[in-house]
Amino acid sequence: MFDFLIEGFGVALTPLNLGLAFLGALLGTLFGALPGIGPINGIAILMPLAYTLGLPAESALILLAGIYTGAEYGGRMSSILLNVPGDAGAVMTTLDGHPLAKKGLAGPALGLSAVSSFVGATIAIIGLTLFAPLLAEVAVMFGPAEFFALMVFAFSSMSVMMGKDPIKTAIGAVLGVLIATVGVDSGTGVMRYTFGMPELYDGIDFVVMIIGLFAISEILLMLEHAHRKDGDGELPPLGRVFVSLKEVLYCKGAMWRSGLLGFIIGVLPGTGASVAGAVSYTTEKRLSDKEGTFGKGDMRGLAAPEAANNAAAAGSFVPMLTLGIPGSGTTAVLLGALMLYNITPGPMMFTERPEVAGGLIASLYIGNIVLLALNLPLAGVFARVLTIPRWVLVPAIAILAFVGVYQLHSDLTAIYLMLLIGVFGYLLRKLGFSLAPVILGYVLGGLMEQNLRRALSISGGDVDILWQSGISLGLWIAAAALLVLPWLVPKLLAARTRRHAG
Amino acid sequence: MSQVTKPVADRLLGIVLIGLAAFVAVQAINLEVPFSYEPVGPRAFPLGLSILLAGLSLVLIFKPGADGEWPHKALAIRLLLVLGLLLAYAMLFTGLGFIPTSLMVVAALARLFGASNGKALITGVLLSAGSYVLFTEGLGIALPTGTWLAAFI
Repeated sequence: MFDFLIEGFGVALTPLNLGLAFLGALLGTLFGALPGIGPINGIAILMPLAYTLGLPAESALILLAGIYTGAEYGGRMSSILLNVPGDAGAVMTTLDGHPLAKKGLAGPALGLSAVSSFVGATIAIIGLTLFAPLLAEVAVMFGPAEFFALMVFAFSSMSVMMGKDPIKTAIGAVLGVLIATVGVDSGTGVMRYTFGMPELYDGIDFVVMIIGLFAISEILLMLEHAHRKDGDGELPPLGRVFVSLKEVLYCKGAMWRSGLLGFIIGVLPGTGASVAGAVSYTTEKRLSDKEGTFGKGDMRGLAAPEAANNAAAAGSFVPMLTLGIPGSGTTAVLLGALMLYNITPGPMMFTERPEVAGGLIASLYIGNIVLLALNLPLAGVFARVLTIPRWVLVPAIAILAFVGVYQLHSDLTAIYLMLLIGVFGYLLRKLGFSLAPVILGYVLGGLMEQNLRRALSISGGDVDILWQSGISLGLWIAAAALLVLPWLVPKLLAARTRRHAG
Repeated sequence: MSQVTKPVADRLLGIVLIGLAAFVAVQAINLEVPFSYEPVGPRAFPLGLSILLAGLSLVLIFKPGADGEWPHKALAIRLLLVLGLLLAYAMLFTGLGFIPTSLMVVAALARLFGASNGKALITGVLLSAGSYVLFTEGLGIALPTGTWLAAFI
């Protein structure tokens, strides 16, 4: 059953792919460490350039996955050193990470977070290896109706888990799905929402979409902080660079508990690193905070969210590889990247394209070791990246965005569209939307419609087919429960306490 | 206007989104669909989405969240300047060529993001020339050399 992994290591260990895993890890860490650039922005900016290298699908995916996991590593630097989370997944890292840095333990804190990231990611990658082929076997039984129900489930789980405002998460997802309907309809050849523009016949290009939505909106958003002190040269002293074995062992419980928890949360569609970090931190605090040291620079309070968010990052590959449903915004971007290579991730990938599935999983093992090896000795070097001023960073992002979109078709329309989407993304962010649901909706929208229409074609228009099988009925019930329970449970609890009080 | 305590932004957004939903629905209904054996067709999915969007927007109008922090006047002007710069970058990109356009836009952007004149100019020169070499030599991307200049020669 692990044939795919053996084949995968065969793919991942070729010199080219090994080099790409290394390059991805390095670039990812650098981009993740840059102020204001999280994993998703890093991938959005670097992805078009990966295409110009003309790599085969599995090599491109190995590079992108390296960037992804590397950026998760890099995101913690500004959390620990500057108390500014690099992305949503690193928010919890600030709680104990920054107090540690203030105590003069910035170096050990960086080292410890690298070790906990490694432990968390390792747990999750092993989980991925064991779990993904099993899930793929179940998923082979999925027909169009089951896939449609699964996507409904993914969207409802995302609305409940992601972000603070479920209504806005849902609206964001709907907007994303709507954007995906632009272009020629594959079923009938009818043009939808193209307004007579030939550039829109193929739909809104994936690269244009993610660069506009993430990179351009980020430039506009950064303007707000342009004149605030960037912390130039204000990095706290790193102290000793290595974390001691004693400190690591002190946190071992926190690490494996949070790694396991993070993996499970990452596997659930729609819930990624940010939820995992928050849940594991509160769990660990409840379990081990006997002296009230959490939040004041407790090493376990740093190890827990770091293990969890890296475990979740790897865990979100499970639904993406086996079901074709990304577990997070960033895996949605990776999924879109695969689709550009005409590979639709899903249960068939393990049998039809084992070199892609296996190569990716094998490269995660390798990348994880590379990351630990890079991050322990070089933490001080990467930390320097934080001092790059915004007036260098922003123009550099602008150049990368323009060239990335221009090289697609040597076409200016795509650049104008990118700017338009950038303004749209900026407005959404200012209005309190998270962009992950939008990109998930955009990536899944086409598949969702295809599956719905395929299912109804099979049944001749009878909608009962959508909930006739046990799997799809279960998914519909789970989706409904997810939407209703968060609203119902607090009311029931309140009623119960009232009864007890009365 | 920033002292207004009623959450205006979300209500306004809800109204705009209902307008969008209506537009999407009208466009979908007006699609001319050729005969096909498929029972669903290209209309149903966007129609369903527009109904969903309208419903969610209604919730937003009746239960709006708090207003976020919106750019004050000085920031709004700089925001428009940055957008104008990016637009100019797009318009001049092929005509004037990659290096001169990037040099000017990078310098202006750096200036807007708080660099001094000298630093902005150096950033412009280094970034435009450096990225040109990286992209064309390193990654083999063909970048525009400028059609306007070529027309003169």
